[in-house]
Amino acid sequence: MVKDFLGYLKSVFGTEKDTAQQLPFKLFFNQFKTVLDSDNQAIEIITDMGEKLGGDYLFDIVYVKRAYKELFDAISGSISNFDMLTQNKYLQLHDVFKNIDSRIRRALSDISPESVEKVIFYEDITWDMYPDVGGKNAGLAELKNFLRVNVPDAFVISTHAFDKFILYNGLKEKIELLHQYSGHDELPLNELRDSIINARIPPDLDIAINAAVEKLRARCEEDCFVAVRSSAEEEDSEFSFAGQFETILNVPPKGNAIMDAYKQVVASLFSVNAVAYQKRFGYNIGKLKMAVGCMVMVDAAASGVIYSTNPSGDRETMIINSIWGLGRPIVEGRTDADYYVVKKSVDPEIIDRKSGQKEFMTVSMKGGGTENIKTPDELRGKLSLNDSQIMDLALQTLLIEKHFRKPQDIEWAIDKDGRIFILQSRQMRIDDRKSNSSKVLPQSADSRPILLKDEGIVVQKGVGAGRVFTLENVEELRNFPRGAILVARHDSSDFVRLMTYVSAIITDIGTPTSHMASLSREFKVPTVVNTGTATKVLKHGQKITLNADDEGNITVYDGIVQELIEHTETNYTGMEDVYEYRKKRYVLRYISPLNLVDPLVDNFTVKGCKTIHDIVRFIHEKSVAELIDIAEHENSKLEMRFAVKLELPIPVGIVVIDIGGGLTFSRSPDDISSGNFLRHRQKKLKSVTFEEITSLPLKSIIKGMMQTGAWNSEIVPLKASDLLTSIMRTSDIVSEGMNNAIYNVAVVSKEYVNLNLRFGYHFIIVDCFCSENARNNHIYFRFVGGGTNIVKRSRRVRFLADILKVYGFNMSIKGDLLIGRIANIGRNEMLKILERLGLLIAYSRQLDAFLHDDSSVERYTKNFIEGNYKR
Amino acid sequence: MGNYRIMVIDDEKIVGDMAKMSLEQEGYIVETFLNGESALARMKEEKFDIVVTDLKMKGINGMEVLRAIKSHYPETKVIMITAFANLDAAIEAFRGEVHDFFPKPVRINELKASIKRALNK
Repeated sequence: MVKDFLGYLKSVFGTEKDTAQQLPFKLFFNQFKTVLDSDNQAIEIITDMGEKLGGDYLFDIVYVKRAYKELFDAISGSISNFDMLTQNKYLQLHDVFKNIDSRIRRALSDISPESVEKVIFYEDITWDMYPDVGGKNAGLAELKNFLRVNVPDAFVISTHAFDKFILYNGLKEKIELLHQYSGHDELPLNELRDSIINARIPPDLDIAINAAVEKLRARCEEDCFVAVRSSAEEEDSEFSFAGQFETILNVPPKGNAIMDAYKQVVASLFSVNAVAYQKRFGYNIGKLKMAVGCMVMVDAAASGVIYSTNPSGDRETMIINSIWGLGRPIVEGRTDADYYVVKKSVDPEIIDRKSGQKEFMTVSMKGGGTENIKTPDELRGKLSLNDSQIMDLALQTLLIEKHFRKPQDIEWAIDKDGRIFILQSRQMRIDDRKSNSSKVLPQSADSRPILLKDEGIVVQKGVGAGRVFTLENVEELRNFPRGAILVARHDSSDFVRLMTYVSAIITDIGTPTSHMASLSREFKVPTVVNTGTATKVLKHGQKITLNADDEGNITVYDGIVQELIEHTETNYTGMEDVYEYRKKRYVLRYISPLNLVDPLVDNFTVKGCKTIHDIVRFIHEKSVAELIDIAEHENSKLEMRFAVKLELPIPVGIVVIDIGGGLTFSRSPDDISSGNFLRHRQKKLKSVTFEEITSLPLKSIIKGMMQTGAWNSEIVPLKASDLLTSIMRTSDIVSEGMNNAIYNVAVVSKEYVNLNLRFGYHFIIVDCFCSENARNNHIYFRFVGGGTNIVKRSRRVRFLADILKVYGFNMSIKGDLLIGRIANIGRNEMLKILERLGLLIAYSRQLDAFLHDDSSVERYTKNFIEGNYKR
Repeated sequence: MGNYRIMVIDDEKIVGDMAKMSLEQEGYIVETFLNGESALARMKEEKFDIVVTDLKMKGINGMEVLRAIKSHYPETKVIMITAFANLDAAIEAFRGEVHDFFPKPVRINELKASIKRALNK
């Protein structure tokens, strides 16, 4: 592979003569750096676009197009460099990029999609498709795809299909006659509806609907029924059309049944009431188009409606209504319902609850359709929601209202397993709040105790309040409570999973151009990085308020400062309400979000790249992987003529191959070309001392290895089961290593090391790049094997993992194989980690033999972290 | 500050819409125009305290708007914004007594501060 690669590089960079004097790995490494450079350029443009399109700047399409042109060039460069690096291993990336690029260009050029599908699943709906899928579906798809709210699986029969359906059945003329409709005679409406009910579905639409139904069924856990719902609103409509059109519930999952329901829903566009409504609000009758959503029915235990802002009482509260069974009786106002009032705040508070006399309930029937039944006596007066369900609904409501920036009228259901589903969210018609509050920060905030002041860098301004959640390791993210403030040692793109419900992020270390930083801006999560001390100063569970302002000022107050939160809410710029702004900003959807989070999980593939940011991330990670791979091969082939031996006062033999700036020891080019050095090496390998190492990462690792107490000097107590290994282990550490076929080898430059160690039967690889640009940096650590039995070896791996977790590594473990990685860390912090890693490598060398039981793992971990290196 | 009138001229709707949204929150009365012609026609009917204009527009461009304003409504302050910022354009604008000159994208807070300064003079 290395040989092939060398040939490849030669063909790209010049003649054999040109490259003969250079190490192949050096060429490779330079290529790697080129990839990182173009990748960094791309991320800087993404960051800039995020900032300029964030609502704080006046921008025009000239800027967006210019910035995107630069981004396009950077990514194109990055991909072609990446191809070279990987020898065209990921050619599909070109198609993925082309696809994303065409979506971006479409968004930039105001052209609507060329070929709108007749049937579209929610996961494929983007905001700009509202004319095709209707506002209601577009909004729900937004909640599902962007906010990751639980919305049932669904597809939409588009307005494009509606046009085809009308045309195919010769109904266009009949509808056009309605343009002049006076509103007095019901006959033409009744006739039109009859024609629609009796109309035929065009063959291609028939095929498309049947295919979609099959797909939906295949994805259902059980045999699912479908709700067929209208979605005719136009995106910017002031009018809700609430209840004007038909919804058919619990339709059997069969093409014909769905199509019959479809026709009923379409016909309802011309019901007497709906037409009267349209006339009243100035719509031209017959102009409105109908998209129809087909959504998996929720087998509802309880359902209801939420007004995210109380329309008639205290605006700082929300109203929740709920009943048993399906929600239809509530929206139709046919039954008494339970009523809850919840105070809107970081910690929502239930301030009122009244149970209604729910005389009847609507339930799904087995074969399809619904029926009203008498509510069982024991349920009639009983509250249909418990407190934790109310709180969960309230938090989701706050999230949705915050996202749409307008009070919302939300329909929801809870299934028999207690899962909450959002079925609809539409803007409430409510008088706008008039706020006279000043733009000046409330003085009262200043009297609060301050925990942190002006430490760190503002990544995303804003106010965030909540309880501190101090992150010890990434696995704890699973337990992160909604609305809390994340306080972490490093930033990490793993935080993406919290973005929709974290109140703020504060880190000790971090940069404003990291992947996480772009995510914070994308999700508008108030974020401050590089505070130095946040994890020490802020205590887990403590209530705090972060205020990061326009000017880069940072204050963290003790307690919840309600005035600040309100101040920010009233200070909201309203830019999201500007249609043109939203439309232009939408281009970021294909640029900024990050879907590829963890390189150690399965979706980290070319196909997983949905945005430009994903491509950048993919290229970065795969380049590192390639580097490690090639460095390993390089080590096994060993260009020994360039190798020098490291003279160290510790029992480990390492030879170093310097590809640039890694050692002060240097030979003149003459030595190399004339072969003097080669002859010299045949006698004895040249050696360097610790002081002569100028490779920053290697020096740190060795420094750690040389720390007092790191090496075990006593005889290791071995058991019979370990005997085999003890015999075979003898030569590994004390030998010069040079006579052995296997070497401990470090390939280094000033900022890079790839270190391969073999101690007896375990192998370690450390690969690290630590440049001045934190974004470039990574440490990759791999540990496998050992001489003891698998149980002990696995214990050692657990010991290593527990410690690496503390240092912020992401890990994957399989038996006695451990792969850990950490990235995007500033150089100084990297070097500290490497030193600890060096110490850990030395300390753990024979540790497996001491790990007699599981509890010893904990003990050794604790000791090591506390600096006690006794065995 | 409630009665100050601001006119925003830019051939891209988004600029006027965003400026209107943010400046109205400051209490200004804001009108937006997509070209110099309609803007100057409106100025005949109503006095404006500040005109924020794009430089490069079809028809009457920003520099011509500036000159027309300076000769007919010398009290009105002009702030120029442009996506094609270069030194020559800036010098020419300042010679024509422009109050301020910003390359786009312009930070809204800077624009607001500039408007405040212009009104205080």
